[in-house]
Amino acid sequence: MRFAIVLLLVLALACAASSLITQNQTYAWYSQRYSERTAALIMALRLDDAFHSPWFIAITAILCLNLLLCNLLRLPQLIRRTKAETDPQNALRLPGDVSAQGVSDAEGVFQRLRMPKPTPCRTEDGRDALFAARHPVGLWGAWVCHLGILLLILGFGLGQMTQRQYTVYGVPGQIRRVGDTECFLTIDDFRVEKREDGSVAQYTTDITVEDAASAGSKGGSASISVNHPATLCGMKFYQNATGWAAQVDVYKDGAPIQQEVVCAGDYLSVKDKEGLVVLLNAFYPDYVMTPGVGPSTASDQLNNPAYLYSVYYQGQIVGMNALMAGEEVTIDAYTVTFSNPQSYTLIQVKVDRFTPLALVGGLVTLLGLLLALYIQPARLWAIRQEDGLWTLYGQSRKGGALFRERFNEAIEQRSASHASD
Amino acid sequence: MLQIENTLFTIVMLAYFAAMILYFAFIAVKKDAVARVAVGLQIAGFVLHTAALVCRGIGAGRLPLTNQYEFATSFAWGLCLVSLIFVIRFKFPVLGAFAAPVIFLIIGYAAMQSKDVKELMPALRSNWLGFHVSTAIIAYGAFGVSFVLSIIFLLRDRMKASGFLDQHIPDREKLDMISYRSVSLGLLFLTFTIITGAIWAERAWGSYWSWDPKETWSLVTWIVYAIYLHLRLRKGWRGRSAAIFCVVGFICVLFTYLGVNTWLPGVHSYA
Repeated sequence: MRFAIVLLLVLALACAASSLITQNQTYAWYSQRYSERTAALIMALRLDDAFHSPWFIAITAILCLNLLLCNLLRLPQLIRRTKAETDPQNALRLPGDVSAQGVSDAEGVFQRLRMPKPTPCRTEDGRDALFAARHPVGLWGAWVCHLGILLLILGFGLGQMTQRQYTVYGVPGQIRRVGDTECFLTIDDFRVEKREDGSVAQYTTDITVEDAASAGSKGGSASISVNHPATLCGMKFYQNATGWAAQVDVYKDGAPIQQEVVCAGDYLSVKDKEGLVVLLNAFYPDYVMTPGVGPSTASDQLNNPAYLYSVYYQGQIVGMNALMAGEEVTIDAYTVTFSNPQSYTLIQVKVDRFTPLALVGGLVTLLGLLLALYIQPARLWAIRQEDGLWTLYGQSRKGGALFRERFNEAIEQRSASHASD
Repeated sequence: MLQIENTLFTIVMLAYFAAMILYFAFIAVKKDAVARVAVGLQIAGFVLHTAALVCRGIGAGRLPLTNQYEFATSFAWGLCLVSLIFVIRFKFPVLGAFAAPVIFLIIGYAAMQSKDVKELMPALRSNWLGFHVSTAIIAYGAFGVSFVLSIIFLLRDRMKASGFLDQHIPDREKLDMISYRSVSLGLLFLTFTIITGAIWAERAWGSYWSWDPKETWSLVTWIVYAIYLHLRLRKGWRGRSAAIFCVVGFICVLFTYLGVNTWLPGVHSYA
């Protein structure tokens, strides 16, 4: 128990400390934000990606081992205790947490404390006795809760180790391969639903997925939107984000040689000239240039579209500028134009076969907590004395002061009702 | 509707303030009748508060649980609800006297936030929003009550023994047990919050756990209260030590609620 508490404390401190450090940044970022020495320390301790670091995984693994051993060791004891909890002979030998003598209506007290109907039995010395036990399943709360946490961590850990994630983006009509799989995704349509005030209500993409390896038999079509993913070909497709794309036309000596839709942040390799690459850095639908700030957009309306581009040749930048609609850029014999700005959709694709295990773990944890915190085992027994009155005994492993108080109240109420009778 | 909500909100603030003053008066003059009026006023404030939230919901056309103002006022509502349950259930008006200032502070914080009704971003348009945030409100409310009970516990040791104290404040063991009950309620609902949040995050973001600061601090809070429950099983960790731990736990709750939003940006930045 003490070791488990220390582990939980270490885990809480590790989580808290790691959350205070911005994750997944570079050494340069940390050294600029803090200092060279702090940045070196962050990188050495893997605090830049703390939740995936060996030390964090080790703490979690030790916690899992502790939970597993704790549950295994406690199982026989718990089975014995559950049996004892419902065994009248076990109770009749005990003094109870609370007791009352001289009770005439013992069954009335059982009823008032909402105990099950008591079973008649006898003490070892042959006196009449009554016994009832309530909710022995409550003894299993902590055990079930530990099991749930174990399943949850296991599901999460296995998911992290085996999951595959891809992103696919494009505009309607485009066909994209899903990562390194044999699945091909067609973007049939992409809609941005807007409200009257211009704010976005929903993004929806209609997709068709085909598995080339199984001749399209496992594929299908679906509409995905934020909060409404779809499962196709054993993969889950999520509507993730959107952005701007533009049609890029390449001409050589005035003759068209290439046309592609390029998303902002993506590039086009000129087929005719190896090493010549056109990158669409950004698109501004309502372009404004503010001195000291740089380019930005005043709105998401296509009032003043501008394309920020870079041109590379053999890895060297040879041009960069913001191009307004209708303008063109010329590199030797090649001319490039940007037009037809449109929204592209970004779809996240994920395969995690252990998510259901983690979900089951979460639900089992919840059940365990419910049992541990709200299902209170209690047992009540009464032994008839020589004068014909009963001595009542009560025990609740988790009820404590409140159980004793209710017991005493029940005794007082029965006494009061008998006095009034 | 939003105008009605605005008016109700002002009345609710006044009702909670008046209840707080009456609770203080009850402790000063030691008259049970004053306590009954204070509890009555708090119940009236709570009913109006509920009406204000309903008006806000109708006016906004959605559950009023999506921005700082809405969450703060709902947090105060949750704390008021849980404290009233405990005040009535355990016939414990002194708890109201300690809870009322906390409720008033939280609703005061809500009053300082923007009340503008903004349309929801697509990620927030989900039925899980209601489950996730409402369970968080009950959890935070229950932890708030355990904090208040712990403060009463710690102060009880410093108070001189008197008939009033014995009559109106439960003994140490019962105080400790009520606080434990409150933490139990909070932990159960926090677990609900984390699980419903994870299910929602999986649908909205494609990942049920991303170590976002809000998620991480919810986990930290969960672990702190889990340690509290484990420590209770050990002898000597009831009473004063447990009360101090509850205070630390509530500091984690406050950091998860306010600190993370203020200092640690993440995917919950809109909350």
